[in-house]
Amino acid sequence: MKRIEDNVARPASITVLIDGVALRAYPGETVAVAVLASDTRRFRDDRGGRPRGMFCNMGTCAECTVWIARGDGPWRRLRACLVPVEPGLRITTRDPEAAA
Amino acid sequence: MSAYDVAIVGGGPAGLAAAERTLAAGLSTCIVDEQQRPGGQILRQPPATFAVAGWLDGAPYRQARALLARVAADKALHWRGGVSVLGIAPDADGFVLSLSDGCEGLRDVRARRVLVAGGCYDMPVALPGWTLPGVMSAGAVQTLVKAQQVLPGQRIVLFGTHPLMIVLAQQIVAAGGRVDAVCFAQPFAVIAKAALAHLARALWTPAPLLAAAAGLAALRRSGVPVRFSAPVVRCEGSDQGVMRVVIAGTHGEEALACDVAAQCYGFLPQADLVRQIGARVRWSGPAGGWEAVHDDAMRASVPGLYVAGETTGVAGSDAAMVEGALAGIGMARDAGALGEPAAQRAMRQVRRARARMQGFIDLLRAVADPCAFLPEAAGETLLCRCEDVSAGAVDAAIADAGHLGQAYGASAIKLRCRAGMGLCQGRSCEHALIRRIAAARGCAERDVAGFRARFPARAVSIADMLDGPA
Repeated sequence: MKRIEDNVARPASITVLIDGVALRAYPGETVAVAVLASDTRRFRDDRGGRPRGMFCNMGTCAECTVWIARGDGPWRRLRACLVPVEPGLRITTRDPEAAA
Repeated sequence: MSAYDVAIVGGGPAGLAAAERTLAAGLSTCIVDEQQRPGGQILRQPPATFAVAGWLDGAPYRQARALLARVAADKALHWRGGVSVLGIAPDADGFVLSLSDGCEGLRDVRARRVLVAGGCYDMPVALPGWTLPGVMSAGAVQTLVKAQQVLPGQRIVLFGTHPLMIVLAQQIVAAGGRVDAVCFAQPFAVIAKAALAHLARALWTPAPLLAAAAGLAALRRSGVPVRFSAPVVRCEGSDQGVMRVVIAGTHGEEALACDVAAQCYGFLPQADLVRQIGARVRWSGPAGGWEAVHDDAMRASVPGLYVAGETTGVAGSDAAMVEGALAGIGMARDAGALGEPAAQRAMRQVRRARARMQGFIDLLRAVADPCAFLPEAAGETLLCRCEDVSAGAVDAAIADAGHLGQAYGASAIKLRCRAGMGLCQGRSCEHALIRRIAAARGCAERDVAGFRARFPARAVSIADMLDGPA
């Protein structure tokens, strides 16, 4: 994924945690874009353990569902394409409550 | 609980046009939309924190953008963005809408009248390899480019049957991206024949035809190959994602390298809330899905419920704006906020505009018709992406249901194999199940009962359900 630079002015970047890795994102971007910017197209694994990507980017297919927490708040499963990033957001593509 | 005269589900062209009319009539109006900002998918806006010079400044967007600017500036509008509607329940005084923003728990709002202007979504089309990361819908790529201002890949291939691919390819190129190929499954002669059959009436509104011709010419100039008779039969790649698509051309198979493959076979109406209330719908041609049935003032079959735009059948944003206006006038009239003579005058005007568009709408539907060109999905290829149900498992369930000799519908198949039971609630696979059931039963798709649409229309946490509305 590549951010379009020509004719686009973004606000100052922030940092979000995706699968424990700190990544740069811009306020207003969706979590889906933040995940894509981490140089992966994977958002989850299916039942067979195969990686899956975002499909519709408009809240219909739910393929981009990830776990999102604000700061120390509880994890919620949300569609990444609908949630804007904000400072302190934690995102994980693997069940945070699964037995390790 | 907040209460409104009018609640509109969907802030796209139809919802905005309706709001403009109900606000003008002095009715309290709220719009609920899953996106943060109004505009719908066609005018999906960049984040408010971004400044994008020249955003969607082309002529085809001008009228809708003017509408968006007018309505968004109206301080009387109650905009509820980033919010999903889980259900709409009729009660003695109108409707109660159950809302969720995903974080703050549930919230109920009351409205005397409800307009569902839910728009449409890309028809998900199963083919081998379509669950590889990087295979996505054309709408996904388009909204990433025009709203999020990102290019999802370095080498993008578009494939399908719908001419929206021409528009999208131009937008990718204009954003500095690379389109390796636009692959129409149908032969050019099929497109030409379909277009010619509808051309005379389509010329009542020549602008979109001219835009399409100009778009093709612009792609040629940018060196983007636009191919016909180029059906994509599978996507291939690794755990990292898609690496190529394979075309079955007239001279055998051919692989095209890519890191994003976007499919574009047409669009299905968003009508799940309409179905959940129990209002009448019918199979929507040619791509499929269910469209809401309405009268000449956009009233659905349930009193107090109105429908407009793609929810009533996919016809484009110009038609959506006109239908939204019609619904808005109708709601104002039915609420007693607009006199009958004035309402009739206003309705006549917008109905005339809508009638003039039908020629082009029919042309586009005929040109884009995917039915004869859908790829094969069989065996291990997944039909239900959420529950990982293969085409083979669905076919086995259909054979099993067929033994009973009854006019079984999609729900009978769902119960046997879990197709349609996942997070998307069947939006992705229902049309595919219905096509297969119709083929097995030897009947038309419209005669196959779809899934039973139930509350909640979107996935919501059990904790939120237990807490109930705030």
